[in-house]
Amino acid sequence: MTSLTYMFKEAFNNLGRNALVVLGAILAVFISLTLTFGTLVFGEIVRVNTLQWAEDVRVIAFLQDDMTAEATADLQNEVASWPQVSDVFYVSKQAAFEEAQVLFSNDEAMLRVLDENPDLLPASLRVQPADPEDYDLIVIRLESTPGVEKVESAGDAIDAMIALRDGLQIMFWLLAVALGVAAVALIANTIHMAIYARREEIEIMQLVGASNWFVRTPFLIEGALEGLIGGALAVTFIVVAQQLAVDRLSELPDWINLAIQNDFILRQGALVLLFGVAAGLVGSSLSLAVHRTLRS
Amino acid sequence: MIKLENVTKVYPGGTVAAKDVNLEIAKGEFVFLVGASGSGKSTLLRLMMREEPPTNGDIWIAGKHASQLPSWKIPYLRRSIGTVFQDFKLLPTRTVYENVAFAMEVTGKHRSIIRNQVPQVLKLVGLSDKADRLPRQLSGGEQQRVAVARAFVNRPLILLADEPTGNLDPATSVGIMRILDRISRTGTTVVMATHDHAIVDAMQRRVVELDRGRISRDESHGIYETRQEDSVPGPALDEIEDETAIADTVDDVEEELEATVDEATKAALATAIEDDADEELDDDIDEISEEGSEDEGDA
Repeated sequence: MTSLTYMFKEAFNNLGRNALVVLGAILAVFISLTLTFGTLVFGEIVRVNTLQWAEDVRVIAFLQDDMTAEATADLQNEVASWPQVSDVFYVSKQAAFEEAQVLFSNDEAMLRVLDENPDLLPASLRVQPADPEDYDLIVIRLESTPGVEKVESAGDAIDAMIALRDGLQIMFWLLAVALGVAAVALIANTIHMAIYARREEIEIMQLVGASNWFVRTPFLIEGALEGLIGGALAVTFIVVAQQLAVDRLSELPDWINLAIQNDFILRQGALVLLFGVAAGLVGSSLSLAVHRTLRS
Repeated sequence: MIKLENVTKVYPGGTVAAKDVNLEIAKGEFVFLVGASGSGKSTLLRLMMREEPPTNGDIWIAGKHASQLPSWKIPYLRRSIGTVFQDFKLLPTRTVYENVAFAMEVTGKHRSIIRNQVPQVLKLVGLSDKADRLPRQLSGGEQQRVAVARAFVNRPLILLADEPTGNLDPATSVGIMRILDRISRTGTTVVMATHDHAIVDAMQRRVVELDRGRISRDESHGIYETRQEDSVPGPALDEIEDETAIADTVDDVEEELEATVDEATKAALATAIEDDADEELDDDIDEISEEGSEDEGDA
């Protein structure tokens, strides 16, 4: 117990002794983990949002006006049997008209046109793909199906969002890895300097028989603390930024939802902190391994 | 207590620092290692404290096969060895008390034991009134006494000293030798590498002479022998050597010194032994040693 307090005291003393170098290491961990955690949070936001879309997504096949009820039912059954399709709904001319009335409820000109021509809107099949990314196959197949007038899909927006997410994630991960390596190197350097500053003390400790772990542990604690502080800053930064984004960007379209669940933040945030501590331990271990006298 | 068998140490550059060394030192013995610079005295001490492993041969220290010891066990071997160096190796930012306490703190001794032991050992080396000073506020002799106190505070079985008087004037050296002598009389084995003719000749203890890594002489009541080329005896030292050849213990050296050295050295000597009320100190040592053996029982 006495030695544990001693080692923590030593670790904190070291943090103070090399304040500037320590600050550099902490900042590197902070930036790297901010990117990592930011990527995770952004990915989660995209996932939650595309998920909502995925539930709603419809490939809409507008049907020719001369289709009989029987042909329509046959077509619906056929489309429902395609492997890419999870569900198909039939929307009649009447239902389409009612839906349009709701949809354009604040567009009077449009409402007037609809009232004058209740038959204007065609009947349609609304298709829900099994995998949202497979919508284009369904579109192609529907376009060549007899009785189908025109095919529309909401898939382009999803494609764009998924592409953006993937592109950003690859970039963020690359940056995070590069900065993670830099953070480990900077922590190693900080510990290296701390060891150098205390080399006389270490020599004496070894002479009087301090055990290896007793000599090394304060440096490991120091590295872990630097990683932990950097990680905590990163988590705080992302959580605050996400909250601000939710508050400030309230005019965003309804279909974009920036809120994320607390347990995601807790789980991933804890992981990020752990990662910071691990980076600190790796950094200080590297440094200890380089010092021949401290090797076991 | 210490046993070297056919020990050879060759450094990476090809330098042979020890060659087929066989040496046995019993518990409580006081041994001088002498020889020219580069003869391998320091290497032998470094091998004994397991600072480095021998290239060949076996070393037993305090009942442990030191040359075969896995590296993680070395710290525990070191706890039975006290070390004193020419350059003191004190921590400049810590007080006398803290420097001595450091050796106990880092081996995990309880605070109450530290608070009990450090003042006793400081009293033993005559620095009780300077416990709060920093090393730079002390004379060289005083700094070395702090180093000896640190080496002895954990009550080691063996004390290894590499030129402990190398940076000190003769009178101050005598003060250090008095303390080492007392430590040896408590049953601690003392091995001391030195160039100091006066001390070796005065103490009349076992002398092991090294020559290019080999033991060239091993006498149980030896003297330094002044044929080494690197010795540059000053006038005062010459007199000391001549007049102290028959001295039995350092106490005699003191008398001889007082009779021969100039006034300034005498003053320094007076300071060095000022607080040493002999009997009281010996009592202290006995007391401390008893507690030391109790500690070992616990461990």
